[in-house]
Amino acid sequence: MSLRLLPENIVNQIAAGEVVERPASVVKELVENAIDAGARRIDVIMTGGGRSLIAVTDDGRGMTGDELKLCVERHATSKLDDDDLLNIKHLGFRGEALPSIASVSRLTIGSRKSDADGMLADDAWELAVTAGQKSNLRPASLPAGTRIEVRDLFFATPARLKFLKAERTEFGHAIDAVRRLAMAHPDIGFSVTDGERTRLRVREGSADLFEARRARLIDIIGRDFGENSIAIDAGRDGYKLTGYAGLPTFSRGNAQYQYMFVNGRPVRDRVLQGAIRGAYSDLLAGNRHPIVALFLDLDPLSVDVNVHPAKAEVRFEDSGRVRGLIVSAIKHAFAEAGLRTATTASQAALGSARPGGYAGQGQLSQMSRNRPVYSQHAGGYGTPGMRETTLQSYAPLAQGNTEGYAAEPRARMNENPGEIEDAAAINYPLGAARGQLHETYVISQTADGIVIVDQHAAHERLVYERVKQALLENGVARQILLLPEVVELDPGHADRLVERVDQLAELGLVLEAFGDGAVVVREVPALLGETNVIGLVRDLADELAELDQSLGLRERLEEVCSTMACHGSVRAGRALTGDEMNALLREMEATPNAGQCSHGRPTFVELKLHDIEKLFGRR
Amino acid sequence: MELTIERGSLLKSLGHVQSVVERRNTIPILSNVLIEAADGSVSFTATDLDLAIVDTVDADVKQSGATTVPAHTLHDIVRKLPDGAQVAISLDADGAKVKLSAGRSKFTLACLPRDDFPVMSEGDMPFRFDLGAADLKRLIDKTRFAISTEETRYYLNGIYLHAAETDGVQMLRAVATDGHRLARVELPLPEGAAGIPGVIVPRKTVSELRKLIDENDEVITIALSDTKIRFSFRNAIVTSKLIDGTFPDYDRVIPSGNDKSLEVDTKLFADAVDRVSTISTDKSRAVKMELDTDRLTLSATSPENGTATEEISASYGSGELTIGFNSRYMLDIADEIEGDVARFQFADAAAPTLVLDSADEGALYVLMPMRV
Repeated sequence: MSLRLLPENIVNQIAAGEVVERPASVVKELVENAIDAGARRIDVIMTGGGRSLIAVTDDGRGMTGDELKLCVERHATSKLDDDDLLNIKHLGFRGEALPSIASVSRLTIGSRKSDADGMLADDAWELAVTAGQKSNLRPASLPAGTRIEVRDLFFATPARLKFLKAERTEFGHAIDAVRRLAMAHPDIGFSVTDGERTRLRVREGSADLFEARRARLIDIIGRDFGENSIAIDAGRDGYKLTGYAGLPTFSRGNAQYQYMFVNGRPVRDRVLQGAIRGAYSDLLAGNRHPIVALFLDLDPLSVDVNVHPAKAEVRFEDSGRVRGLIVSAIKHAFAEAGLRTATTASQAALGSARPGGYAGQGQLSQMSRNRPVYSQHAGGYGTPGMRETTLQSYAPLAQGNTEGYAAEPRARMNENPGEIEDAAAINYPLGAARGQLHETYVISQTADGIVIVDQHAAHERLVYERVKQALLENGVARQILLLPEVVELDPGHADRLVERVDQLAELGLVLEAFGDGAVVVREVPALLGETNVIGLVRDLADELAELDQSLGLRERLEEVCSTMACHGSVRAGRALTGDEMNALLREMEATPNAGQCSHGRPTFVELKLHDIEKLFGRR
Repeated sequence: MELTIERGSLLKSLGHVQSVVERRNTIPILSNVLIEAADGSVSFTATDLDLAIVDTVDADVKQSGATTVPAHTLHDIVRKLPDGAQVAISLDADGAKVKLSAGRSKFTLACLPRDDFPVMSEGDMPFRFDLGAADLKRLIDKTRFAISTEETRYYLNGIYLHAAETDGVQMLRAVATDGHRLARVELPLPEGAAGIPGVIVPRKTVSELRKLIDENDEVITIALSDTKIRFSFRNAIVTSKLIDGTFPDYDRVIPSGNDKSLEVDTKLFADAVDRVSTISTDKSRAVKMELDTDRLTLSATSPENGTATEEISASYGSGELTIGFNSRYMLDIADEIEGDVARFQFADAAAPTLVLDSADEGALYVLMPMRV
């Protein structure tokens, strides 16, 4: 066949292959268009998982009839001011979405223009496109804004159609896309309907952006997130990071709940994901992921959004600075926030503490589903042992009302309560120690509740912080290798490692370039002992390639520290005197990140007095 | 098969072979020991497919024959029998059960047919030489501490045995290294060992051999090929596969121009290192050596515990030098030095250090410093 240009319809279908991957991409593109059109309210209707109908209605600026004819043409856009691809202020800019969608579906678009002063045009127009074939413009009757209906998506590309997942799955992806956009635009109201039920509805927020965003995040992620996150607000050299970071004890089993936005655009970017992992590195076990919603604002000139067809990835001019900002902002916020553990832990504990039959069972099983790590490691967390502990702690507080609770004699009250009956101690955040249960949990009384401390987890964290501090202050001792190890790598991988020799040397790994695509390791951290150097270097190189940073080495050193900490700390089952318990509590207050052990389990649970009173029907 | 044997010699013989048997096996027969009785003696064979040990002991054999029984169970039974008991072992007629009785104790053990027991093919072993038990013991003891336990560099997981030339004399050398330190011991090449290939004897074989040497004071015949090695004791034969790999060119890392020489009393030194390292909590247990004219100061620091220093007199005159080492590595070497005086030869704080034994010229140790 001789060389020729492809017909426009085929070109559009090819573009659709990149831009329109699944119904969720259609929803995302159309909602983004609506946002760019200055809408205050956007309604999405999806039936059949988006296969039969996707309709997006907005109340934005709308289009005139002529614009309508143009908008389904390729590379037609109103969003690229001054034809400057470097300075992108809208979500869209390529002018590819509509023609691509139109080329693989039956698209109807209707619009009524309102001008800059809000004057509504007298006429509204409608246009239908079927698999790329435009119909004539028809007059229509519409309110202000634009309504786009996409029917029979992918009917023109049966291959794509075949690869669509179940309706529910496709719907889930679409709603996730809308959620992310809704988080970034709290000033706009959103709704998603599946034809029968409203699946998402958020009202347009108040004028104060910060408050509106917080309310929007709570609406979308859940009330728990509001209670178990800390606000991030940091800026540096024109980069601004705001949002909320979830407490380590409020973590999840996958990274799905990490919402990141760059200049209001939802992204899933590896640099950002890596930075978040770095920020939480010794607060969470490797298989736990924090919940965060972070908004990064920076000069549009220093970020390239034109690297991914669906714009899910971006490229930063200075990714090191972005990473540094995120890591330091989150670490700093946690250090300032002081002692906090997730309220969900104490809620669950309370839930399981109903008199007679354990009504909290459902909640418990849900807990163990959500937090497999806890049930494996902690044993006593959210298990019957915990329940007992909670029950017993009521005895000294609600005196004379302990029948039915059968307080176990094993609860070891302090021999000399007078000794620690220090009125001032109660005013400390973790209160005054009142006793120890099962030689494992320290119970203390605070000004407005009680605190249950897991003595092993708490002490382990304290020792760990101490060991880590010592490591940072004294530098990492390095064992020089008698037989330097040559590690063969891809040339790219080797170069990336060599670029970071200083950083690696600080952590005790000394290497240098060794010809093309290899490095030679001359010194290793003495702490690791006789270690698999080749494996370590390969892992680091892979990590650099993927995340553009190398956490692996630090993580391994921290792991050794944490094993040492575990062996060097007070175990469960050891009886503590009142003074020892109070000393533990005071040290926890003084140590950063003492609210969770290095696996992200809480070291203490706080029960408020009014919650306890509720249990007894006093409120 | 039917035989009677005294409990003591049975236990000793089983003791030689049972540690070869892994605790958990995917092939059931590998958990078993092969018993072969004939002509007034009984032999026990155990293998893990890489290593096989046959131990032969005198017994009153009434009827010759062979079978296999679980090795660890048999060993445990014999261990718990009273001292001096006569143990009768017999295989029942259909070959499915072994009966063992001693005094009033009676045991029945399930057995597997001897034909299923894997026999290690020895192949042709073209080299054969004799070595005194004391010599073999020396080669092993002074090198085995440096054998690597890290599996990725498998070729370091054993002792490298080979012929080499030192000052024009042919030597048999044993070398082991884990990449941090190295030990090299040599002795004049025994007759018949000329031209032997360099072979790497695996760690497990080394430790089994070492146990056998302890009880023998005799000449051991060593036969080897490129892939296998056999050590023949009077009553026992150890046959082992060799590690299939290339041992690094270790000569390169043995320094020759180290000009700063320190001589120190071995025992004083070892005790001082041990005491000073008590303070370091860290896994690497770094100890710093500060050298000045005829003086050695050892010190360790721990951010949690504090510091330790100890000064010992030594013979040194090459200018001040500060160098750090892993104290465990230093103690391992000091343990193997027989002479009263240990001789260190340094170049600088980042270069390999040589340690020599005043009483054993054939032993040499290389230690890599730590940066602390």
